[in-house]
Amino acid sequence: MAVNNCKDFVTHLEAWTEGERHPDAQVHLRDCAGCRSLAEDMDAIRTEALSWGAQESEPHPRVWTSLRTRLEQEGLIRFPEAEVAIPAARPSTENWLSSFFARIPRPALAGAYLSILIALGFALSGPVSKQTNEARWLEGTQIATSPLSAKLNSFEQNPIASDRDLNPAVTASLQQNLAIVDNYISLCEKSVQEEPQSEVARDYLYEAYQQKAELLAQIGERGENIQ
Amino acid sequence: MPEAEAIRLAQQGSAPAFERLYRLHNRRVYSLCLRMVSNTAEAEDLTQEAFLQLFRKIATFRGESAFSTWLHRLAVNVVLMRLRKKSGTEASLDEMTEPDEESGGPRRDFGGPDLRLSGSIDRVNLQRAVEQLPPGYKSVFVLHDVQGYEHNEIAKIMECSIGNSKSQLHKARMRLRELLHEVLRSKARDDRKAASADAGGED
Repeated sequence: MAVNNCKDFVTHLEAWTEGERHPDAQVHLRDCAGCRSLAEDMDAIRTEALSWGAQESEPHPRVWTSLRTRLEQEGLIRFPEAEVAIPAARPSTENWLSSFFARIPRPALAGAYLSILIALGFALSGPVSKQTNEARWLEGTQIATSPLSAKLNSFEQNPIASDRDLNPAVTASLQQNLAIVDNYISLCEKSVQEEPQSEVARDYLYEAYQQKAELLAQIGERGENIQ
Repeated sequence: MPEAEAIRLAQQGSAPAFERLYRLHNRRVYSLCLRMVSNTAEAEDLTQEAFLQLFRKIATFRGESAFSTWLHRLAVNVVLMRLRKKSGTEASLDEMTEPDEESGGPRRDFGGPDLRLSGSIDRVNLQRAVEQLPPGYKSVFVLHDVQGYEHNEIAKIMECSIGNSKSQLHKARMRLRELLHEVLRSKARDDRKAASADAGGED
């Protein structure tokens, strides 16, 4: 296309920015300071944008962990057989979860986790003021979360014998889900320790515990249904 | 696991296949989100949302378009929805940068110093200017000039015509130029003030 004036050059500008150096455009630029300045500016923007695009960053691992938990909650992930296989190295504990959750009444589970969530919510929201230092905040978080850890540990260390077992495949799947959520919680706790004042980190931690509570409630429901 | 196989298995609900697809595309989707919203927490949230929508709909993927194009369309839509929700504080989508009405050529800044962007802009200035673009301009600029997509790909991602993509990109660049010139003018003013303050101090 012919470039005889400024209007023509503006029409030709994208091609120019992409590197197409039309002879008419070059002649016009020699005589027109305005268009020359425009062309140089466009080249500068393009160059800086390309350099920006060359750098890609990876999202934090918690994104995948949280996403996977959501996929499981929505039932989008259906584990293939290979993933459901029960690890041979853990024969003595393979049924603790199904036995335990078959015995514990669902309201008790829900109540326990509700109280934990309330304690966490209290620790992670209001009391965190600008005056509160990081050490006090961490201490508060530990106070709020320690009953949860103790309760969970006691659940896991005291398997209850039961004659009503869940399907081993389901148990393995649930154990795997719990491991994923626990891993997520660890990541979130690490983030909170690294950035104690970060609201985002606290939100993620709260969400992680919420997901665990929901998962345990689902497990409880399964146990109740089997009974 | 090749992408096609991962898609097929993900359609059957395989967890490793979902993870494989996530690992293949997460950097690009996250980078796109981060460039659009300039906030890591929000970009993480949008990345998760984009992949969640993708996996919810993956059973309907028939391979008519490239998987990455489909994913980016979802991601751009998720980001645009978020930006439009916040649009009370942002410039209108209809905001236009028109060429000089009389000549049809580029606008000129009369009475100001002869500023050139070349050698004067850096990443921070560019990012700040991009943040101020209306969502539509921002999407096309980020997709084309930063992420490196062609106009035909952007047309599929944004569900618009190639001509529309070119037009939006032109307006985005012109608006960026104005914003960057404002930054330079402001910096020049500050430098002059500092210089006159120094001169006054010496007297």
